[in-house]
Amino acid sequence: MTTPPVFDARGLVKRYILGETTVEALRGVDLEVSAGEVLVVAGPSGSGKSTLLHLLGTLDEPDAGSLTLAGTATATMNERARTLFRRSRLGFVFQTFNLLPVLSAEENVELPLWLAGVGARERRERARAVLAEVGLEHRFGHRPDQLSGGERQRVAIARAIVHRPLAVLADEPTGNLDSETATEVMDLLMALNRSRETVVVVSTHDPALIARAPRRVVLRDGRIAADTRGAAA
Amino acid sequence: MKLALLALRNLARNRRRTAISLAVVATGTAALLLTAGFVAFSFEGLSEAMIHGGLGHLEIARQSATEGRTATLERSVADGLDDWQALQQQVEALPGVLAAAPTLHVAGMASTAAGRSAAFLGVAGDPVRERRMGFTVKVRQGVEMADAPPREGEDQVLLTQGLAQTLGVGPGDRMTLLAVDPDGMLNALDVTVAGLITTGVQELDTRYLRLHLHSAQRLLGTASASNLLVTLDRTSRTDEALHRLRGVLAGHQPPLAVVPWTERAPFYRQVRALYRGIFWFLGSIVFALVVLATSNTLAMAVMERVRELGTLRALGTSIGQVAGLVGLEALWLGLIGGVLGDLLGAALIVALNWLNISMAPPPGAVDPIELRVLFVPEAFVGTILLMLAVLALAAVGPVLRVARLRIVEALAHT
Ligand SMILES: Nc1ncnc2c1ncn2[C@@H]1O[C@H](COP(=O)(O)OP(=O)(O)O)[C@@H](O)[C@H]1O
Ligand SMILES: [Mg+2]
Repeated sequence: MTTPPVFDARGLVKRYILGETTVEALRGVDLEVSAGEVLVVAGPSGSGKSTLLHLLGTLDEPDAGSLTLAGTATATMNERARTLFRRSRLGFVFQTFNLLPVLSAEENVELPLWLAGVGARERRERARAVLAEVGLEHRFGHRPDQLSGGERQRVAIARAIVHRPLAVLADEPTGNLDSETATEVMDLLMALNRSRETVVVVSTHDPALIARAPRRVVLRDGRIAADTRGAAA
Repeated sequence: MKLALLALRNLARNRRRTAISLAVVATGTAALLLTAGFVAFSFEGLSEAMIHGGLGHLEIARQSATEGRTATLERSVADGLDDWQALQQQVEALPGVLAAAPTLHVAGMASTAAGRSAAFLGVAGDPVRERRMGFTVKVRQGVEMADAPPREGEDQVLLTQGLAQTLGVGPGDRMTLLAVDPDGMLNALDVTVAGLITTGVQELDTRYLRLHLHSAQRLLGTASASNLLVTLDRTSRTDEALHRLRGVLAGHQPPLAVVPWTERAPFYRQVRALYRGIFWFLGSIVFALVVLATSNTLAMAVMERVRELGTLRALGTSIGQVAGLVGLEALWLGLIGGVLGDLLGAALIVALNWLNISMAPPPGAVDPIELRVLFVPEAFVGTILLMLAVLALAAVGPVLRVARLRIVEALAHT
């Protein structure tokens, strides 16, 4: 028995209607991502990267095409099922970090475990272990506003992986970071993938980061222009 | 970490706005408590004034004298209690009973040597018993009636001021009372005006007078009493005593009726309805104001946090949970504001009572009264529940908004 791909997208179409005009953000995207893969979704601004990640993350629904997540077609999932799928199988990292300002670093990381019903003790242990893994063992009790941008994004990454999801979706995670920190964050995401076989999908338009990715999917005007593996040319 | 705690922390984010919301809720709560306390005071004051002004808590009279009668000061002596002394002993032996006092009602004509006359409504009683019962008859002018049964030719009356004015008499003057006895004979009794009184009720003050039970019995040629008025150690025990008395007197011949003061007090129901109306009217205004004020700030709190709520949804927080988060914030406001309001209300009640403010007389009354605001325990609990309901209502809009949030749009929100 072969395990189904984590993401299996066929002919994904997404349109936005703006008054009279219709924007075709995605015009038929086919994409298959197997367990343990890391890929970068590249492309200029407006090419549809965010839209694709939103669809892959069940945050939005396609207008046409199909998406199968670890063997389950999203078309058969209702709101509740999508919520539960995100809760248990997916992790998200955002450009603007999106940590809860009233919670400490540790509490932010505990959030997915709390949603999963994990007990307080285990939550704390696992959150601290993951925070240590991303190099923040000295920042457990800090609130987001007491952390630097790079540290916040590390907390967000810890939050995205603490519940051992199938995949982490990171939409321009380095967009608000300087290039040195961006490289560190990218390396961190890839290291996490190596240690736990989690699929990592990162969107970016930073050429330096694209070059480091084992697989590169380039979007242009809502279509996949290239899908290459191995070291960048 | 519980949803409720997260909600509480969210309240601490915008302290100024939270403080304003809490102030609104607390002020509304305190206003309701003051209203409830004042209404209770007014109502209780009116009730006690009636009870101790001569109604008593319970009246025992012949069934035939009470049937279909609302004018409770005109129990005919023909329908009186012949064995009132035995009944008195029996009733006064019961627990909670302060005293049972006989009264005799006599209606007739008063006339003076100068040829003036007026109809009167006389209530005769036993001054010693009535003092024990806490009946207060304030003498405005002259002196009280003598306690001892008057000897023949020494009968006294206390006149209401209006009646004294009509007759043109004052303390020390003599006059004659005329009344028809149970056999239909017209009798006369010469009396001295001992003092002038007021009943506290304007209409009654033009024809009411008081005299000693013995004087009235002499005037009517009877040994009966119209009824027995029973006072209790506490007004709150009225119902309990009513049932006990009805049980004790059940086999009496002729049949007796036991009537609670609430059925005999003039306008009791109307006054109670009026006070309730006032309370509900003010309550609705406070309700509406607090809903308006807080729903706005709750909506603002949601608007500012759209992206955060979208993030929570992206991470797998259910619609119910994010809606619950916002709802719980509202309920916290209601609970904390309500408790603060209770404290504020209690402080204001103590302060107002300490100030000893005097107020215009209530409707129908003659004397100004001292403002008092009572502690109404039910109101202290009730207002907190009410504020929870108010905030729940105020949260409906924001909660629906959160429930309808589209995740992608929320994440793009700045
Ligand atoms: N909510 C929206 N409403 C209208 N148009 C949108 C919306 N989101 C994205 N678009 C449009 O869809 C296209 C793709 O957007 P996006 O997926 O955000 O691209 P990228 O992330 O690569 O910059 C762009 O033309 C953008 O303007
Ligand atoms: Mg984008």
